[in-house]
Amino acid sequence: MSETESQAGVLLECRGIDKSYNGPMVLSAVDFSIRRGEVHSLVGENGAGKSTLIKIITGVTGRNAGEMSFDGVAIGAEHSKKAAQDLGIAVIYQELSLIHGMSVAQNLFLTREPRYPLIGLINIARMNAEAQALIDRYGFSLKATDSVDSLSIAQRQTVEILKALNSMASLIIMDEPTSSLTSTESAQLFAIVQKLKAEGIAVLYISHRMEEVYRLSDRVTVLRDGRKVAILEKDQIHPEEIIRLMIGRALEAGESNRSMARKGGEVVLEVKGLCSQDRFQDVAFSLHKGEILGIGGLVGSGRTELVRAIYGIDPFDSGQVSFLGRDWKPGVSASIEGGIGFVPEERRLQGIMGGISITGNVGIPNLDSTGTLGFVSDRRELELARKAIGLLNIRPAEPSVPVGNLSGGNQQKVVVGKWLIRDLKLLIVDEPTVGIDIGAKEEMYQTFARLAAAGVSIILVSSDLPELTRLSDRIIVLRKGRIIREFAEGVVTEEDVLRASSGILEGGGR
Amino acid sequence: MSTSTIRRLILIGLLLAIGAALSLASPSFLKLDNLMTLLQDASQTGIVAIGFTLVLITAGIDMSIGAVIAVSAMVCVNFLTYTALPAALFIPLSLCVGLAVGAFNGFFITHFKLPEFIVTLASRGILAGLALIIAVKDTDGFVSNVYIQDPVYLGFGGTVGPFYIVTIVFVVLAFLTQGFIKRTRAGTNIYATGANPTAARLSGISTTRSIYGVYMFCGFCASLAAVFLSARMMTAMPEFGIGSEMDVIASVVIGGTPFTGGVGDIWGTVIGTLFLALIKNGILKLGISPYIQPIAIGGIIIVVVVVDVWYKDFAEKLARKAARRRLASAESRAAA
Repeated sequence: MSETESQAGVLLECRGIDKSYNGPMVLSAVDFSIRRGEVHSLVGENGAGKSTLIKIITGVTGRNAGEMSFDGVAIGAEHSKKAAQDLGIAVIYQELSLIHGMSVAQNLFLTREPRYPLIGLINIARMNAEAQALIDRYGFSLKATDSVDSLSIAQRQTVEILKALNSMASLIIMDEPTSSLTSTESAQLFAIVQKLKAEGIAVLYISHRMEEVYRLSDRVTVLRDGRKVAILEKDQIHPEEIIRLMIGRALEAGESNRSMARKGGEVVLEVKGLCSQDRFQDVAFSLHKGEILGIGGLVGSGRTELVRAIYGIDPFDSGQVSFLGRDWKPGVSASIEGGIGFVPEERRLQGIMGGISITGNVGIPNLDSTGTLGFVSDRRELELARKAIGLLNIRPAEPSVPVGNLSGGNQQKVVVGKWLIRDLKLLIVDEPTVGIDIGAKEEMYQTFARLAAAGVSIILVSSDLPELTRLSDRIIVLRKGRIIREFAEGVVTEEDVLRASSGILEGGGR
Repeated sequence: MSTSTIRRLILIGLLLAIGAALSLASPSFLKLDNLMTLLQDASQTGIVAIGFTLVLITAGIDMSIGAVIAVSAMVCVNFLTYTALPAALFIPLSLCVGLAVGAFNGFFITHFKLPEFIVTLASRGILAGLALIIAVKDTDGFVSNVYIQDPVYLGFGGTVGPFYIVTIVFVVLAFLTQGFIKRTRAGTNIYATGANPTAARLSGISTTRSIYGVYMFCGFCASLAAVFLSARMMTAMPEFGIGSEMDVIASVVIGGTPFTGGVGDIWGTVIGTLFLALIKNGILKLGISPYIQPIAIGGIIIVVVVVDVWYKDFAEKLARKAARRRLASAESRAAA
């Protein structure tokens, strides 16, 4: 491709983009460009800055420095969501943004409904006909008059894409579009992406699934720690290479490798053939006393659903669980009484009661030990809170402070702390260090190690690969609801885990 | 057939069945007089319920409607007592009361992002007090009953042919509103605002404008109902309309517009108001104590909501099963 041709082909150009949300740099000096009609993938670990870059492109958030242009026209600092839409940048949101209760046609033409001249009433017949024509043009099997409520997730996504096409988008951004699709539906989506490309529409594709990136992309941009580390052209794209570039930092630091060691001794928890309809299938593992079992996998692979079922929040369809050698029927109260603690994924939504004091939060699962005849003893509750504060170094060390006022790290300590004052046998933690600062993270790691040394078994679900490889004695990786890999001994790197998670089973030697 | 169509047909069937039962039980039920009065009652509530439906479609609620009726009636009475203005002039002015209250509600809901229930409950309190303050008083300071004698004003309580004017206005308003919400962009925006405000805003819809619009329209409807009510009663009292929220909410809920927003239409509300008026009329005709009315209405609301929830689960289960069958057959076709 000659120089002039490539210049003319550029649709979106970003140069030297800097962004920080009051504090650390989330993006620094990122160069990024998309050519007309190409499928461009943006990859990077969680926190690499992908979402922030998308937000800047789509006008959701501003940039601190850098230049942007779309279709040769400079985009100023006043870029907004509306402006991005008007330019022809459309996003297919992960959480779908259709209007329920309306038909496909109504959704496609929202705010741009064809009207009869003069009287201004919507011409429904014409709207339906035009919508159907659009659907047929791209060869989808949808009916314009169907309500979007009756469609599957994949079909709804198709409507979103059509909506973008109908608004004359020239760049469509897809953020993890296959995360909630079945494999057949994903294949359909890939066909759509090819169709868009053939129409000259650029697609910015964001996915953790390397085989998709490999299969679809014309080019790949790799971000790491807010910096652009590489732009790979078609012939340079290789899953192994992308993963190496994504992880780079950790490998250089040399602390990501850790020997796995299968622990012997008493089996605390044993799970056999656990199935729950479309969440996870045939999961089996056992957990020994004092062992930390890491569960890896992509978001949506069924990790959270699995641990929720084991703790007894959600039911499962079939399979057996035994706890301390006995048959076990999971249920939240049984779990609490039996000595199982649970630290849920969404701290703010599921973990803490923000308006209530540390004492209240710590006391809730411990009412059995603070109450007499149904009355709660404030004094005993306060003792427990003091104990939790001391054990985990919660700051401020003031039991009456509402937990909502604490920092993220200290909130998480409260969530963990309410279990530690019990006679704990098993602690299940789901993404325990998301959104907490490095110091608190380190303390949390030490707490887990101390607990394990004291004989408490821990199930650790985490997307943070360094965390997973560093803490776990053993790692199982889930993919699409099944255990796809177990790392029980020998050296395991983040790369191994990521490779298993993304479905690249055995890569050749590097 | 969609689940909402089936629901509507069931309701119409019930309506006819109850009507048939009443005509057997009470010979005076089918008399033209009684039917026209029944329609008059239904229309009185129905006019407000139309406005309220739009509010519910945006996932809001308006608790101030009853108090708007009271204040609007008091404004009319003041004009009648202290001015010589013709009714044709001050009635439009008093309709502006509802519009103003709606704008007030809309302002606090959109600008300060306050919960709709709290804002409208507060305006209900303010307006109910205001109605008492501006009520016409006698020399001892007690609220005096004003007898309306203005022929133009009283005309609103009259009939055209066998039908009361309020019924005709109700039907026309129902047609216009239904056309508005289903066939105009502004109407579509109202649905979108209630169904998914974030998505609506992302699509370039001004949800603020939709919210202002529905509360102002709802207030307007309440003011309009106040004129008909006072003309019918030939007097107006500051308690007029206070507590009528119950009937309005019942009508809309029976009609099938849920509180969750994004769903509902005017025809459902029309059927709901007829249903409620029929029950109330039936209680009178059967000679049962009128004190039973609120209990019956409360009971009906609970039953309707329970059945709705159950029916929705049931329909979803059926739909899921059908979807699984479709998927299975598609897969077996693909395998073949």
